[in-house]
Amino acid sequence: MIETAPHPVTAVMRALADPTRRAVFERIFDSKEVSVAELTRGSGVTQGAISQHLKSLKQAGLVAERAEGRNVYYRAAPEGLEPLVTWMDHYGVFWRERFQNLRDLLKEIDP
Amino acid sequence: MSAAALQPDTQENIRDIVIDEVFPHTPETVWKVLTSAQLIARWLMRPTGFEAVEGKTFTFQTTPGGHWDGVIHCRVLEVVAFRRLVYAWKGGDARNTGYGAPLDTVVTWSLTPVEAGTRIQLVHAGFVLPRNETAYTGMSGGWKKVVRQLDEISGENS
Repeated sequence: MIETAPHPVTAVMRALADPTRRAVFERIFDSKEVSVAELTRGSGVTQGAISQHLKSLKQAGLVAERAEGRNVYYRAAPEGLEPLVTWMDHYGVFWRERFQNLRDLLKEIDP
Repeated sequence: MSAAALQPDTQENIRDIVIDEVFPHTPETVWKVLTSAQLIARWLMRPTGFEAVEGKTFTFQTTPGGHWDGVIHCRVLEVVAFRRLVYAWKGGDARNTGYGAPLDTVVTWSLTPVEAGTRIQLVHAGFVLPRNETAYTGMSGGWKKVVRQLDEISGENS
């Protein structure tokens, strides 16, 4: 079987491989919502370049947009990073939480 | 079952998760919580078909990812009452990477009586790190921060 769409991990890696684009993504990640104008300010690149980066990030599923009047606001879609999270990362968090559940349940059963 | 049996390709980078904590309860009480299906449902996930009997198979339904239906297939490998419980923990699909990738691991619970109660050691063994791991570690520190935040998010959803 031939896969026509690029592998999700490839798309995400490609989107984040560019340092400027990664910086844009991290700025979006750190803000709740941010406009293109705000992202351009202090970035050292043109608004057109920022728009291109946003397009790539959107295609990779890493950001989502919301239009309000003439402005478009961007927010991070961190679930787009999921292909990069390994089982090891996942279970590292999973077992920590489950240990806490175990501790709580034992306390309840055997105070 | 030896650990070596799980590692046909020694070139691959295989890692374990280890958690080691002391709980203020007797090994008998801890054992009950680790081996009763009803209690497992309250702290881990609701198992289907679990019995603490060697050879028994059971499943957990977790969040699906990509081509994978989210079902974890387990098999009890070893039961030593109040001391040791080992089960295989398998899932994933070869067409996925990251979350949902093939998973062929073993979970081992070891209980040791200590003055303060019971030392519980969990070893979740057999994680194969991606071959292109260097591509990830070569990324900036900011990237790692993103991954850490993502861990918190995925924790909330599970």
